[in-house]
Amino acid sequence: MWALDQPYAPRAEHLLADTPLALLAALAAGAATVAALVELAVLPAHAARVAGVTAAHGALLATALAWARAGVASSSVAVSLIGLAAATAQISPLGALAYLGPGLWVGSLAARGRLTSLGLGTAVSPGRVAAGVLVGAGLSSHLLVSASRTLGLHVRLDQALEVLVAIGYDVGANVLAGECFFRGALFRRAERRWSFAAASTVATSAYVLRYLVDPLLPKSVELMIGAVFYLALLGAINCWLLSWSGSLVPGLASASIFFAAYRTLGVR
Amino acid sequence: MSLVAAALVAVTALIALDESGPASLIRHAYLVPVVAAALRFGAVGGGLAAATAALLSAPLLLPEIERSGLTDEAVEGLVTFAVLGLVGVLSGALRGRAGRHRRRYEILVTIQRTLAGEAPLDQALARLRAALADRLRVDEIALVARDGERLAVAGGECVAARSLVARVLDTGEPAFVSDTGHDARPRRAFATPLISGGYPVGVLAVERNGEISVGERAALETIGAHVGVALENARLASRQRRFAAELEERVAAVRRELEELDRAKSAFVAIASHELRTPLTALQGFSEILALRRLPPEEVTRLAEVMRREARRLARIVSDLLDLSRIERGLEPALCRVPVKIEPTIEATVDLFRQWTATHLITTECEPSLPVVDADPDALERVLTNLISNAIKYSPAGSAVRVGARALAGAVAIEVADAGRGIPAEVVHRVFEPYYRVPDAAGAAHGTGIGLAVVKALVEAHGGTVRVDSAPTIGTRVTVVLPAPSGPFLDTPRRSRVG
Repeated sequence: MWALDQPYAPRAEHLLADTPLALLAALAAGAATVAALVELAVLPAHAARVAGVTAAHGALLATALAWARAGVASSSVAVSLIGLAAATAQISPLGALAYLGPGLWVGSLAARGRLTSLGLGTAVSPGRVAAGVLVGAGLSSHLLVSASRTLGLHVRLDQALEVLVAIGYDVGANVLAGECFFRGALFRRAERRWSFAAASTVATSAYVLRYLVDPLLPKSVELMIGAVFYLALLGAINCWLLSWSGSLVPGLASASIFFAAYRTLGVR
Repeated sequence: MSLVAAALVAVTALIALDESGPASLIRHAYLVPVVAAALRFGAVGGGLAAATAALLSAPLLLPEIERSGLTDEAVEGLVTFAVLGLVGVLSGALRGRAGRHRRRYEILVTIQRTLAGEAPLDQALARLRAALADRLRVDEIALVARDGERLAVAGGECVAARSLVARVLDTGEPAFVSDTGHDARPRRAFATPLISGGYPVGVLAVERNGEISVGERAALETIGAHVGVALENARLASRQRRFAAELEERVAAVRRELEELDRAKSAFVAIASHELRTPLTALQGFSEILALRRLPPEEVTRLAEVMRREARRLARIVSDLLDLSRIERGLEPALCRVPVKIEPTIEATVDLFRQWTATHLITTECEPSLPVVDADPDALERVLTNLISNAIKYSPAGSAVRVGARALAGAVAIEVADAGRGIPAEVVHRVFEPYYRVPDAAGAAHGTGIGLAVVKALVEAHGGTVRVDSAPTIGTRVTVVLPAPSGPFLDTPRRSRVG
């Protein structure tokens, strides 16, 4: 038993220890440079989106991997793969298949046991994954019904290719980076220091804030209130799923299903 | 849980089918699954059920608000969900509190029952740990209690230095660790002192992969205090039982000793009477012969010598008895100490024995230039007489008795050795007890059983020591060590240690 036979030393590590500041600074500088060049019409407008996606999701995923002590190289590869996927998706809808790259890279790291601290690569029962699927399905159903009845937003299948590209983006960048950082890294670290309630509040607040400042979120009051409501619910439930199952997989499933449902609404 | 979910969905479906909309009276039916969830799963369950009801109703209520604004019906619907939430959380909290109280009382009863037995501390701790592990719903639990200088540990081998438990034992303050840092998932640890009389007498430590809430920690502290008091009570009861058993044992031992002493004294009276009567009979008989008959001068001399020897024997027995009487009163023998040369004293005493007995070969081996000792000559002679007499009595006729003396640093050692049957090792330590006679020797020769007790008292009154070395069938050697001060002696006799 740890309390009997292991030496006790109060925790000295800071909450944000191991953050790859140099990489984050480089990403921010890169994004700012691209934005300036787009503003000067040196680069096409799509370049700003590629740089933004790479910088935002790359920063979250790179930080999560760094906190898991997966190595700077692993973080750099993940950022590069996200950037590559964002670029190819802009060139052709089929390029969105490149969003499989970050997922496969994270999967390979998890398979090598380097991401257990994030809740990846650990054993998880199918029942717990099914619980994540059920949570995602429940929230998605509610979203679709509520959006349809209150905002008049209906499921649109006329732009299936566009929806599939968006789902690819969610699975390979948005959900992957969000769950790895806000749940696997931030919530886990906070939970090691504070109670579940405090840790999930911190992680969920940061999660909601990240979407509120996202320039891709439509700036309508109803949609923003809806985003806060559903993202807070999704964030809190995913924290509980991680704490309950010990794995990030159920949370990845619930978030993927929820965002897939959201994409079918065709919100712009 | 599935029943609650089904009921919530069913009520929502009924409201959707009702034309009254969100203000339908059916909405009050939400109370049933919400209260059921609260009673089954506590405040979290009640709150979640109420939130689920609100979520399910949102697609019905929100379009109504969007269409017609906050009408009375819409406000009624909103108030209903607020009340639902309140009822769910409150009834769940009350149920949770009642459950916690019940569990706490059950735990306290368990503690009292477990520690009420007469089991040793380690066993009691192990049983209590098993009982608490069942009720506290933790992954690991350990109980540590001070037992004198050692720590009794249940749930582990030992308490490592600088561990959480060691820290709580030192400080007497509870300690919570939000993560032990050794698992992929956060693992909480909490240790609280077992308090008795205001002092930590042990530690209760638990670990869990999950929350140990503030309420649980407070409950564990209370349990720790109860365990501390219960342990202390059990310890005191156990000590009382042990003391009672020890007292009983000691009383029995003392009674046995007294009985033995009583038997020994009875035997002593019989033996002493016999020992006194023998020389008296000789004195009486020979004196009557001398008074009534005319005898040749040689025969008169012989009889007078016998009478002198018996008179000396009588005097020695009486002196021993007087000394024994002083010893038993806690007094030391009266001594008149002067500088005494050992070798002449030994030679004189041995000469006397040579005259009296022809059955043994008595030899002396004294180192030359022995230092003088500060001793009472009479007492020294009685010591030697007792030892030589014993050596002759308890060794076979024809064997040798060796009397020697040698110088030690600041002392003189006198040894009397025989080639007798020896003394069994298990009773050697008892030969200096008054009235004690070695069982084998009791029938072998006459004796009062007080000689060696007197020897020991006399030697120790001189500041010396006496020791017996004996090997069965080989013989016995008694060594008397007397201090020999190197400074000049006063010529005048000095009384010392007069009790």
